[in-house]
Amino acid sequence: MTVGRLFECQSFILSQFSLLCSDKERVFHVYDFISEVKNHRNVVLYCSMKSSQTQTATQEKQQPPKVKVPQHALKRTVDKFTRDYEAIIGIETHVQLSTLTKAFCSCPYNYGSQPNTSICPICMGLPGALPVLNSKMIEFAVKLGLALNCKLSLNSKFDRKQYFYPDLPKGYQISQFDIPIATGGYIDLDIPLEFGGGHKKFGITRVHMEEDAGKLLHSGNGAQVDLNRAGVPLLEIVSEPDMRTGIEAAEYAAELQRVVRYLGISNGNMQEGSLRCDVNVSIRPIGQLEFGTKVEIKNLNSFSSINRAIDFEISRQAQLHSQGQGDHIVQETRLWEEGAQKTVTMRKKEGLSDYRYFPEPDLPEVILTQEYVDSIHKSLPELPEMKRRRYENMGLSMQDVLFLANDMNVAEYFDATLSSGADLKLAANWIMGDIAAYMKNEKLSINEIKLTPKELGELIASIKGGTISGKIGKEILFELLAKGGTVKGLIEEKDLIQINDPVEIGKMIDKVISENPKQLEQYRGGKTKLQGFFAGQVMKLSKGKANPGLLNKILLEKLNAKS
Amino acid sequence: MAMGSSRALLILSNFKFKTTASSSSSSKPFFPFKTNLGTRNFSTKIRSSLQPPDLPRLAETARISLAPNEVEEFAPKIRQVIDWFGQLQAVDLDNVEPALRADTEGDNLREDVPETFENTEALIASVPSYEEPYILVPKVLNKE
Repeated sequence: MTVGRLFECQSFILSQFSLLCSDKERVFHVYDFISEVKNHRNVVLYCSMKSSQTQTATQEKQQPPKVKVPQHALKRTVDKFTRDYEAIIGIETHVQLSTLTKAFCSCPYNYGSQPNTSICPICMGLPGALPVLNSKMIEFAVKLGLALNCKLSLNSKFDRKQYFYPDLPKGYQISQFDIPIATGGYIDLDIPLEFGGGHKKFGITRVHMEEDAGKLLHSGNGAQVDLNRAGVPLLEIVSEPDMRTGIEAAEYAAELQRVVRYLGISNGNMQEGSLRCDVNVSIRPIGQLEFGTKVEIKNLNSFSSINRAIDFEISRQAQLHSQGQGDHIVQETRLWEEGAQKTVTMRKKEGLSDYRYFPEPDLPEVILTQEYVDSIHKSLPELPEMKRRRYENMGLSMQDVLFLANDMNVAEYFDATLSSGADLKLAANWIMGDIAAYMKNEKLSINEIKLTPKELGELIASIKGGTISGKIGKEILFELLAKGGTVKGLIEEKDLIQINDPVEIGKMIDKVISENPKQLEQYRGGKTKLQGFFAGQVMKLSKGKANPGLLNKILLEKLNAKS
Repeated sequence: MAMGSSRALLILSNFKFKTTASSSSSSKPFFPFKTNLGTRNFSTKIRSSLQPPDLPRLAETARISLAPNEVEEFAPKIRQVIDWFGQLQAVDLDNVEPALRADTEGDNLREDVPETFENTEALIASVPSYEEPYILVPKVLNKE
């Protein structure tokens, strides 16, 4: 194993330890562990890091890290990193809006269409073409600004951001420079329990409207350009540098995804490029007010890459500091390499770019009336944060809350089930358990399963009321999920009604006992385990319909009676 | 990239000055580049407090190539253009609310209704280097 790899692994361990230890006390226990380890001659830990592309940070399963490490190196980095430095992280996110047409022309946009088919003189930047603003773009921008608790600028404008690049047809990007449509907001989120849990609030500096560039693909000695994407509307969200760990950053991105999906303004897919994140990472000694040198990281394609890239970069910078080479950290843009699991230099920033911003002369001012803003505010759906707080107040555990509120459709399904009168905890359990498992197996979304919320409520009520047993309930669930139908209908059709009549159960027990005299003798002789045998026989006789609780109660009575 | 510089050339070459009563009598068209008209008589002597532009850098950012002698020649002319606009500095802005933009019309918005442009073939045909389905471009390493 190379030294470089060792350091990567140990920094991975460190990041995991520091994440799991959410307060100072537990950090010191880590030190104790490390010094214990130091005392052993051969410390052999193996490193295995899994990279999996999944949708949300909550669905990530962290493998326990194992690495072969020299004890002294490990201790040195642990000391420096955890004790002395804190990381300052900010994120710039671009959200591709799901409007039907582009920002400034009526070309449709469909991900994956044949290159250069959705183009026109406007988005190609041909001479004489003029942009015309899409009204939906403003609506989506206001929705997002409100959802992120921002102050909206009732008057804003567009500016030209000028630079030359093959995927930028006009030689400038229409954006908003000094007067964005929304500023000064914040976002609330909950860190998943497996990463320590807890509620966090991160500031949002600004949200502004702009257009996307085309797609540039490098090939051989040149490059290929596809302008289908040129002119697609984007919202750029700039966060305050409030995040401190890779997990916080990943969860921030996941929450933005949740919000844009809840609002219906974007499908927020990192893999498709409709949600893009660039992170800025710097570290500074704890207590210092000045920020350290900021490094930008690009090419992050999933929430877990955001997490891992940041953790890597933090330890890369910490290591340089600990080796007295803090000045080797320069302001630059680095790329995250998913395969190698590390950041590499892309280019050194040679001074700040001069984009020669000036107000876009071809577009008028963007004017919002308070009435317009208020009407949009009224039309906002219940946002993830509000849902989580409502579910928490209803008495659900944090784990349930995070699961149910993650996907808007699941939350709706859950709410609909509850509105038909179902028991809270039971509804949550069914959805999170058997129903979620079914969806995963069959690769279906909750909108595609045949079981309706109403019938789920009916199922829960039937079990709770004793009409059918829990076991039978699970059995018919599968059929309901796959084929639909009603609970009542299935119960009738398959004759599943639970037998709750003690007299009837008693008769069946009597029959079973009389048919198994040998086992009865063994039971009376001390083999009390045979109760299970009798119970099983009675269940078989009743075709699974006997009420298990009643059965066992009466069975016990009868078995212990004649003695 | 070529488009930006040719636009700049168009603008500069078509620039005509209507000078105010208080300044020069010259009403000749103003061509900052060499033209066949010969005379370049600039009697406007307006000096403003605006900073003169760094011409080589300006040309670089606009992707216009200038030979050293052209830089020398054009720098004073461009300086004069800027100084001419510099007259605006004399306006007293103490009681004026800054405007975001200079227009008086309201928004000009479009409904979000898709329309496919019919003649994409003509658009593609006008691309100098095209290999179905992509536009071919030379390799460019750095943005800006």
